Amino acid sequence: MLNTSLIILGLFLCAFGGFVIYDLATAKRRKEVYRVKSTVTAYLMLLPSVALAFLFILLPILYSLGYAFTDYYLLKPNDIDFVFLDNFADIFKEISAKGMLYNAIKNTLTFVVGVVPLQIGLALLLALFVNRPGVGSKIFKVCFFAPVVISLSVTAFLWEQILAPGEGGLLNSMLAMFNVPPHDWLRDPATAMPCIIVLSAWQGCGYQMLIFLSGLSNIRKDLYEAAALDGANKWHQFWNVTWVGLRSTFVYILITVFIGACRIMTQPMLMTGYMSHTVTLSYYMYNLGYTERWVGASSAVALLMTIFIGGITLMQRRMFREK
Amino acid sequence: MDKSIMDLPNFRPNKTPVKKTVKEVIYHIVGIVLSLIFILPILYMLATSTKGEVAYAESIGTINMFLPDFANLGVAFENYKSVLLDYDIWKYATNSFIYAAIVIVLNILINGLAGYVMAKLTFPGKRLLSFMIIFLIVVPVETSIIPLYSIVKIMLGLKQQMSVLGVILPAAISIFNVFLFMQFFQNIPKEYEEAARIDGANTLGVFFKVILPLSKPILATVAVFCFIGVWNDYLWPSMILPAADDGTWPLLPIQTALITIKSIEGITTGEIMASLVITSVPIFVTYVAAQKYIVQGFGTSGLKM
Repeated sequence: MLNTSLIILGLFLCAFGGFVIYDLATAKRRKEVYRVKSTVTAYLMLLPSVALAFLFILLPILYSLGYAFTDYYLLKPNDIDFVFLDNFADIFKEISAKGMLYNAIKNTLTFVVGVVPLQIGLALLLALFVNRPGVGSKIFKVCFFAPVVISLSVTAFLWEQILAPGEGGLLNSMLAMFNVPPHDWLRDPATAMPCIIVLSAWQGCGYQMLIFLSGLSNIRKDLYEAAALDGANKWHQFWNVTWVGLRSTFVYILITVFIGACRIMTQPMLMTGYMSHTVTLSYYMYNLGYTERWVGASSAVALLMTIFIGGITLMQRRMFREK
Repeated sequence: MDKSIMDLPNFRPNKTPVKKTVKEVIYHIVGIVLSLIFILPILYMLATSTKGEVAYAESIGTINMFLPDFANLGVAFENYKSVLLDYDIWKYATNSFIYAAIVIVLNILINGLAGYVMAKLTFPGKRLLSFMIIFLIVVPVETSIIPLYSIVKIMLGLKQQMSVLGVILPAAISIFNVFLFMQFFQNIPKEYEEAARIDGANTLGVFFKVILPLSKPILATVAVFCFIGVWNDYLWPSMILPAADDGTWPLLPIQTALITIKSIEGITTGEIMASLVITSVPIFVTYVAAQKYIVQGFGTSGLKM
């Protein structure tokens, strides 16, 4: 591992040196003047950040790429064999056999499809709701934002208590007032993921509400007046002024919420443990690579996941960029 | 206003105040209901943290679930005391504060310097570095946590003291913060630096004496997000920090410790909730104190994507 890292470092420095020489060679054409003193200072000042970024960001990415094609087992770091596409063959075998990975993909997709529209929709509605002067709306804003302050692990424990089975659970005891029998929300495959979707949206949407609000405050007020003068009703005003003004905010929120949703892991991990009806892709990856120590196979899953997330993100940006 | 017009029966402004009041009342009722939905779980957490096991069991199914047990405030005190002292939450909280403080300082120094170099100095190879900054921000890196783990483990070995570095060092570098600093520093006029240079300051001196004092908003934003990030992280420390020889976990940050606290035998629901409350308080204080910078963070960070 040390040798490989040194080889990668060497390659990295070579590539970098090549670029430096290229920059020096083309300096005249680009009318750039490089001074020795400022160059040396610059590199000295960059050293800590480049070293840390190389070690903890670039190297893991490269290793994750490389491990995906090996049978690396965490406790045998000196016995790594190149297995070509075997890991990916295993992945497709497990998916077609409807194993744990199949469930993980299914649950992650359920979560993403559920939480992205719910959280963004809620955030937008709440932002429009509190976007007005007055004491009341300020208090409401604080209330809607309050769950954001609570961390994911605290949220998971709190909701585990709320969704507890039997008469003792908060939700069950409240439903009992309407004569609804108690339900084991997190053990029942039909309700577990929906519950996790709802609590995640509850926890997160206040944050996006604030971002929408700062987007709303950038929309010029006279646009509304102009639209009203032109005879636009409230709906047309929303569609032609608010929505157009919020477009870039919306794309940003869509991409960040989507990526966050794809990586969901804390809630199922802390609330239900490793169960087939709540396991998610990140959780599967973590379990395979850390708990079961199959780093190679886990990296293959990570690689596919990165490609999937990156692809969809690019698509979203394309779709919403120009217009 | 013309009185004769006001007397006309169908004059519209006469109807509006009533309509407006009704609208206001409806708005506030809807707002209160929505707010309750959002804060009931939190009220439940706060209320339960003041109760003993019996009082908690009795409150289930009644409105008391959401109200603290005012009659026995001693119990509340006992809950918080036993969580803080007997279950060592104060130690874990101290750990978290120390990790956060070190990460914030390192983050500002390391990423701030890099941002400054990228924004203000010219040197060969700069274009490649700017490209890499953008590239590394866009690539979703979270998926490489397992290789990161194997690298850090091999680098630092299995010793307790070294593993603390494993918590701190990866958190000290953030390409996104380099990018934030770079953007901010680019907007600082050259004249400030030139004045300092004439007075004989070198590049590092300019950074510390001129650039940093001018950059308080971005420093605050980075510090706040660093603090929240370190305080809320539980997974990475749980992977990287080993147990001590006597089976305890003296180095855990608070969120990771929460996971172990829940499984302590004989801990009451009230005590669990008290530990959740304690864990949430510093983040709450941060949000209240640094509201301005958090909203500013939205403005400077993503919206230019």
